[in-house]
Amino acid sequence: MLKYSQERFVGIMLTALGLIVAAIYISLSYGVFDLTFAEVVKTLFGSQSNGEYDVLIYQFRLPRIVIAGLVGAGLGVAGAVLQGVSRNGLADPGILGINAGAGLAIVVFMFFYQGKLAGTDWFSILAMPFFGLIGGLAASILVYLLSWKNGRLDSQRFLLTGIALGSGFAALSLYITLKMDPTDFHTATVWSVGSLFHANWQYSISILPWFLFLLPIIFWKAHILDLFQLEESSVKSLGVSVGREQVILLLCSTGLVSACVSVSGSIGFVGLIVPHLAKSLTGIRHQRMIPLCAMLGMLLVIVADFIAKNIFAPAEVATGTIISLIGVPYFIYLLFRSKA
Amino acid sequence: MSILRTEKLQAGYEQHTVFQDLDFAVKEGKITTIIGPNGCGKSTLLKTMGRILKQKAGTVFLYNQDLRSLATREIAKKLTLLPQNPVGPNELTVEELITYGRFPHLNQGQKSSIADQKAIEWAMDITKTISFRHRELGSLSGGERQKVWLAMALAQETAILLLDEPTTYLDMVHQLEVLKIVQQLNRQRQCTIVMVLHDINHAARFSHEIVAMKEGHIVALGSPQEMITPEVLKQVFCIDARVMLDPRDGVPVCFSYDNLQTEKEAIGGET
Repeated sequence: MLKYSQERFVGIMLTALGLIVAAIYISLSYGVFDLTFAEVVKTLFGSQSNGEYDVLIYQFRLPRIVIAGLVGAGLGVAGAVLQGVSRNGLADPGILGINAGAGLAIVVFMFFYQGKLAGTDWFSILAMPFFGLIGGLAASILVYLLSWKNGRLDSQRFLLTGIALGSGFAALSLYITLKMDPTDFHTATVWSVGSLFHANWQYSISILPWFLFLLPIIFWKAHILDLFQLEESSVKSLGVSVGREQVILLLCSTGLVSACVSVSGSIGFVGLIVPHLAKSLTGIRHQRMIPLCAMLGMLLVIVADFIAKNIFAPAEVATGTIISLIGVPYFIYLLFRSKA
Repeated sequence: MSILRTEKLQAGYEQHTVFQDLDFAVKEGKITTIIGPNGCGKSTLLKTMGRILKQKAGTVFLYNQDLRSLATREIAKKLTLLPQNPVGPNELTVEELITYGRFPHLNQGQKSSIADQKAIEWAMDITKTISFRHRELGSLSGGERQKVWLAMALAQETAILLLDEPTTYLDMVHQLEVLKIVQQLNRQRQCTIVMVLHDINHAARFSHEIVAMKEGHIVALGSPQEMITPEVLKQVFCIDARVMLDPRDGVPVCFSYDNLQTEKEAIGGET
């Protein structure tokens, strides 16, 4: 009778969870140095204390998987929210200039301070993510202000402004990176493509508060995103304060994206692909779709990062490159389908 | 006291002002229809009264309270507007869409109550959409879809309904069906209804009061018998209308019309 039942949703969520667990296990055990199932389990649950394995899992592989999972979930959810708010299925944090804004802030930061902050204390580790966050938030506020017209947010204007500002920021970033010394230039380039190479526990902890604070708000507001699928006069007539809800949701997703970008660089396409995939699996109700976006995003980035680490091991490909390789064809497919 | 009225209202789009200094009071418990040529400001008036469009000046009073001083959610419990050509996602089922109408009555995230369920069933019942409640919007015909949108507005259980051309794009049977639902709402629930219609014969048959607008002004208002006359129609639409009374119920019917013959006649109609 109903195409998208609650049972189906639960089934899909459990399947996604199973796949995530499998992906985590594979990422933990395979690599330049392979571990057996027993070794992984023993190290994880502490029944065997082997210094080498501990370092491998706790210092290298696990933090990276955790970051990949968080970033994937954050970008997936943020993408769904952005598409809902802008009423445009092609909206993506990358297209809206948030990544570019964060990128510019980080490049500026690296250009002026990097040399002086070589320490390993919390401040020097977290200064870069913090600048990314500020940059991302500033960019999205700018995009929002510029696309505000006649007391309302025009979704076309919103997208175009985002694209325009994004290109501007990217150009500025490029200009600054060209003036850097070779080491910084390399770091900046890898960062701009999106890489989890620098993953560590401090990063996870630094972005976790954003997730704990913003995800619940988004889940709580999910039913309003359902209403945003109607045209604006219907939404207003139902008693939704359209402008206020848009600002809240937009700020939430920007916070998430900026947090993600700050630790992983500019990973694109997750926020674009994942919501579409989730919609086709579980239907358009955001109360189901958004949790599924979190799961699918996690899965996608964990798997992509595993491929990025191992495909040309010991050399590493940027995670963002792998996701783009999957994302570009899918994006083109979406464009063609929306035309038809 | 009027249930809904405007005072020195000025509204429009960007630089363009559609009307100004407009005073208009809606009669409680009646069906009021606004008629007038395209671009005369009918829809703009309706949208401004329904706070979909922000006024440039003046005030809209809902139960004597300034609309701008009320929370939009509180307004949504008293007044709803069905836009001219509403659109929603094709994948949405009829019942899901109608459930959206309960939004102003829910606390955030709260599950729907028995009252909500009753309102939804009632809305589906009166609009006869109950038989296809599980179908998707994309699979419906134009007439079915319009009834579903009407049902969503009704699920809001407001005392005032503003309908912007609710019969446009429908065939004559569906037009009649929609208007009958409107009439039934007014009779059974004493809903106050303001709608914009292009068909003056429908306006005559289904309204208690007709308001004629032209170039941003209300040029005449009154009962159908007073309004659907060759004189008023000439003044409003610049047409030479031929009107008779339906022998069965005395409702005026415009059975034919033509352009005014001469320039002089047209200008004469204006003044």
